[in-house]
Amino acid sequence: MINLTVKKPLGMSKESLRLDVSMTIEPQSFVALAGSSGSGKTTLLRILAGLEHSEGEITVDGLPWLHGKKSLPPQKRGIGFVFQDYALFENMSVEQNLLYVNDDRAHAAVLLELTGLLELKRRYPATLSGGQKQRVALCRALMNRPKLLLLDEPLSALDPQMRIKLQHDILTLHKAFKTTTIMVSHDPSEIYRLSQRVIVLEQGHIVSDGTPAEVLLHASGSQKFTVEGELLDIIKADVIYIAVVAIGQQIVEVVLDREEATRFDVGETVQVATKAFAPSLMHSRKKKHLL
Amino acid sequence: MNRISAHVTRIDQETQLTVVAFDAYGITLTMMGLGLNVAVEVGDAVVLGVKATHIALAKSLKGEISISNRLECDVEEVENGRLFSSVSLRFKETPLECITLRTSTERLTLAAGDKVSALIKASELSILEVRK
Repeated sequence: MINLTVKKPLGMSKESLRLDVSMTIEPQSFVALAGSSGSGKTTLLRILAGLEHSEGEITVDGLPWLHGKKSLPPQKRGIGFVFQDYALFENMSVEQNLLYVNDDRAHAAVLLELTGLLELKRRYPATLSGGQKQRVALCRALMNRPKLLLLDEPLSALDPQMRIKLQHDILTLHKAFKTTTIMVSHDPSEIYRLSQRVIVLEQGHIVSDGTPAEVLLHASGSQKFTVEGELLDIIKADVIYIAVVAIGQQIVEVVLDREEATRFDVGETVQVATKAFAPSLMHSRKKKHLL
Repeated sequence: MNRISAHVTRIDQETQLTVVAFDAYGITLTMMGLGLNVAVEVGDAVVLGVKATHIALAKSLKGEISISNRLECDVEEVENGRLFSSVSLRFKETPLECITLRTSTERLTLAAGDKVSALIKASELSILEVRK
């Protein structure tokens, strides 16, 4: 169990923006930290790792990591940390990168096997792809059997297909070792796939905290399927009206009745909503190109 | 979107699935949902929504039908386009609009003053507002 209450100015200005959060994290859970850039996600991760100081208290399984001015040094916290850049030792093989952290060949073999890297164990980082390097970084972070694994946007530099493969590896490792994990991510599908809980930070404060479904599913009333767009036009056709709405890069049309046609103004931001029973799934036309 | 005022009379849930029953002017309406995003309790006043294109009309309807929601309405106006018709209805004090094919209103020989049943599937009814 992790209990934390931390306060720290964010950025240069001491007055305006402060990280000010309290949370409890259950053992063995997988928590995603989301929020816009500058909201304090990475700062919170670094405070947990002991790489930045802050005011407050952090207790992990009853052990104080931060208490007033006393701060447990990073190397005594039992943490695994994976950054966006792989930070591997280029002059060491894959296996040596792992053994440098902890000289436990059996554990290294288990980790490499689980992530499909066993055959590459004698290779050097320069000969690996980005996805392979990040898998090595992930295994290395788990060599010390950490109490807490911190992942700071670990997959953001990878292409979409490699991301999915790595998400699968992260899930496999989490199931195998049940390491309490906190991951910073901007990707809703990644958060949904991996985490049991998502905490959203904005300007240093928690603005949302719940299951991925609760936090990420956008809904309006009992309508389950809601997207926001700009109303471009309302066209009268026969006795009905057709609203033309821009949603991201797409233009969609929605049939309106007479009353709706008078209630909305062209140019306004609208929500396009429908119940979960109405939309159908079809194979993407893009999919064929990918395969 | 047609708006119908009602009260919640019953909520049944099974995992994520929800069936909510309402009373609207003495008529029972039923809605199926995939969970409820809004906090709704029995007794709450709500505004229900149904799209004009999701209302079917029947005249002198007999026999059993699987559609859960049946509102007895008066036809106030029929506006015919070339392909579609917009039928203005009144259910108690609530005005409703139904958009249907022109061939359908002609088959039913719909005209102002007619009595019709407005049929709404439970999956096409939604909660727009909750008034505690």
